[in-house]
Amino acid sequence: MTKTASITLTEDELDTLVSIAIRRAELLDDTGSPAANDAWYEVMLYEERLAAITAPGDITGGVARVGAVRAALAAAQRKEAARLASQYLSEEAFPPERRTAIERVFQEDRERLARRFPALAKSGRLAELDEWRATTSRNPRVFPLAA
Amino acid sequence: MRLVLHNLCSIHPALRGHPVDLFKYGALALQRAGHASPVQTETDHNGLESTADIEWLSQGLTLLDVLDSNRVTEDGAEAVALTYANSKAGWVVKRRLQRGESADWLLQSEVGWLALEVSGMIDGDALARLKEKKKQVARCTLPADLLAIVVAFDRPLIMAGSV
Repeated sequence: MTKTASITLTEDELDTLVSIAIRRAELLDDTGSPAANDAWYEVMLYEERLAAITAPGDITGGVARVGAVRAALAAAQRKEAARLASQYLSEEAFPPERRTAIERVFQEDRERLARRFPALAKSGRLAELDEWRATTSRNPRVFPLAA
Repeated sequence: MRLVLHNLCSIHPALRGHPVDLFKYGALALQRAGHASPVQTETDHNGLESTADIEWLSQGLTLLDVLDSNRVTEDGAEAVALTYANSKAGWVVKRRLQRGESADWLLQSEVGWLALEVSGMIDGDALARLKEKKKQVARCTLPADLLAIVVAFDRPLIMAGSV
């Protein structure tokens, strides 16, 4: 029988882990590595755990919450990003500046996608990317639609 | 002011466990520019000029053959800047920030928080780079003090500017 244990990490430990993970993800991004998405997913997990143990009104809590959403988008986990944003925006103590930061994160992501897929953006079909990504993530093959 | 690069992890415990020893990059960037420890550096903090002594444990220059030159410059600058920020005002690293926050590091002290943007250069116009980095960190919306630090390794020179 396999036992799984939940490891409790302190805020300081998570700060160190997220710092290392951010640097790695940004370096992989800079080199255009296909491993960048996975690296950002790891950042998202650490940011999410930091968000869970910090207050939304504290600077560290605000950084972690916006960081979790931003990392989710960088990892192409748009549904997860939307879920996290909805969760954090529902917290009363979440400061207005951080709410604006989350809106800005989504805006920057839309602009980045529009630059990358200008034809889709022009025809208002950027939303189809989410559907396509969802399909490929469930069925990660070269020709997912034919599988 | 003494800036002891190899004490970086003692003054910033959050840097312990990092796969990259930033202080080694600081040492390599200084040695690559022809300096030996200790070296006196000029400092300019919001226009106030002074000097400081940078000390480090000598590193083997053969490492430069296998390391990315830009990373040596940038990570080396982070080592010098984080040491400087602590020596100057007691700032201690809390965590690294994602690029979208328009700053590299979040630091804390008894008086509050600091968002710090760091840039390194081998040579060139440090003042122009500082202006550029101050513009960048000014976009940081966190409720924190904002500071940009540029490290020019050739002279060497540490330029810091608050926003």
